[in-house]
Amino acid sequence: MVLGIIIGYFCFLLGLGIFGSRLLKLTSGDYFLASRGIGPFMLLMSIFGTTMTAFALVGSTGATYKLGIGIYGKMASWSGIVHSAVFFLIGAKVWAIGKEHGYMTQLSYLRDRYQSNSLPLVLFPILVGFVTVYILMGVMGGGAFLEALLGKDVEGTPNMPKWLGMLTICGVVMFYVFWGGMRATAWANTIQTLVFMGTGVVAFYVITKGAGGVDSFFEAASKATDAVANSDASNRMTRARIGKGEFATYFLIPLSVGMFPHLFQHWLTAKKASNFKLTVIAHPVCILITWLPCCLIGMWAAGILPAETPSNAVLAIMVKRFSSSEVLRGILGAGVLAAIMSSMDSQFLCISSMFTNDIVVPHCGKDKYSEKQRVWMGRIFVVIVVAACYIIGLISNKSVFKIGVWCFSGFSSLVPIVVAALYWKRSNRQGVIASAVSVAVLWLGGLAFVFSDTLTEQVFGGKFLIAGLHPVTALISVSTVVLIAVTLMTSPPDEGLVEKFFGAQDSESE
Amino acid sequence: MKWLILILILALSILHHDVWWWTSEERIMGFIPIGLAWHAFISIAASAVWALAVLTCWPDELDKRFEEPASTTAESGSEGE
Repeated sequence: MVLGIIIGYFCFLLGLGIFGSRLLKLTSGDYFLASRGIGPFMLLMSIFGTTMTAFALVGSTGATYKLGIGIYGKMASWSGIVHSAVFFLIGAKVWAIGKEHGYMTQLSYLRDRYQSNSLPLVLFPILVGFVTVYILMGVMGGGAFLEALLGKDVEGTPNMPKWLGMLTICGVVMFYVFWGGMRATAWANTIQTLVFMGTGVVAFYVITKGAGGVDSFFEAASKATDAVANSDASNRMTRARIGKGEFATYFLIPLSVGMFPHLFQHWLTAKKASNFKLTVIAHPVCILITWLPCCLIGMWAAGILPAETPSNAVLAIMVKRFSSSEVLRGILGAGVLAAIMSSMDSQFLCISSMFTNDIVVPHCGKDKYSEKQRVWMGRIFVVIVVAACYIIGLISNKSVFKIGVWCFSGFSSLVPIVVAALYWKRSNRQGVIASAVSVAVLWLGGLAFVFSDTLTEQVFGGKFLIAGLHPVTALISVSTVVLIAVTLMTSPPDEGLVEKFFGAQDSESE
Repeated sequence: MKWLILILILALSILHHDVWWWTSEERIMGFIPIGLAWHAFISIAASAVWALAVLTCWPDELDKRFEEPASTTAESGSEGE
């Protein structure tokens, strides 16, 4: 029954892709940006759905189970403050520039802003590398969740082994993105966001009552918390396992939304700048609705599950253990998968559009390939990236939370580039390229510590922290200093270029 | 008003670092640890501050730029440069 409901949900998404393809005009503007016609509610749902991933559900529950309730403060409440700031100060401004000059991707804007064909060549592999890790997180989280949720048969063989779960998720998302483009993606995001928020509330209610073992919701919640307080895991109710410096510097992680190429593309789909208002206001509350139940479930799990439970499986085990009805379990499972897939679709579409618009067109010419051929080239590139994620996902068992945080650290460290592009007239391509290279080198170096606990133990004597602070602090500091220093040491940009990007802004402020 | 918004965001960021409840197991409503409840409050307060920012400091000129008939909007733009 559980499997049947999940398959039914996958079929619904496949149908959405086919429906989207009927509405799709096969032009790159419609395929990649839904002809810039998205309204406020769909913009909120697609932006929120895109930022909530396996990280937000599977990762947050597992991380709270291991480290305690401080995970909410580290990620969710910081994100409520920082994400909205980024949408306000960067998103709306990027939308206006994108509409004015007809940009489809982040890289087409930066190439034009700095009059540099080399800049996209430097940034493309970096951004694709970061997005690949981001996709990997969804693929691994989804595979682990399905395996744990669907359980094992009498012989102990998983009903949905991880490899099959990962393959199915990738296949379904690729299908509706390829056939329906941004229009289907925006619709799928809106529906999936409503599905995972709705089922999240139901899951929380069901798990709470199950974990507390009584009918009254508040009494059950209190009993579940009592069980944690009376167990060896009582420190999960506090931040005893999290350092104060680490906690404070986590505000730098949510800055990453300023450089997510898939979010950048969603910004460009808005019909008007004022459509961002709802997103800016409602985003912190949407985060609260999603993260608070997950963190509570993770905390309660610490008082119930054995200490060696894999963190990526905690949410699925709690759903499985406490939802008595198979129908309900299937619906809750579909809800978690909705959250995972609502980010993967945008990531697939974005790397496809970056490859087409920023690599193929500038270097092969606009007329060499037809619109249809270019769309297909993008799709083939996505298949290659997803295949790489799939293979890594098969061999890695790392925590989704740990991988996610490092992925976001990379994006955050590139944010000084977009801030300089939008607000610093004097910034030039030399400074931006040097800053991007510094991020790539440091991030790749740090990746070794994310994937090797032994190495981290040998070098840092425990957690991957620098002087008690999260390493993103060092990455952003270096990228900012390099950007400023190299810019000031090299010649300023042409006045015509400054006029092109700041002229309208200057005349408005006069 | 911009200064007030900036001060409120700075205040939220300072209040976010609630060292005073770091190891407290005190609870709100019988089941939410106080450290978690405080951060849920920070999320709601962030939404309120951003609502104030949108109402008082939103850059309306971004849309006005495209309302004029002689707008420089060029959808074909630079994608093929």
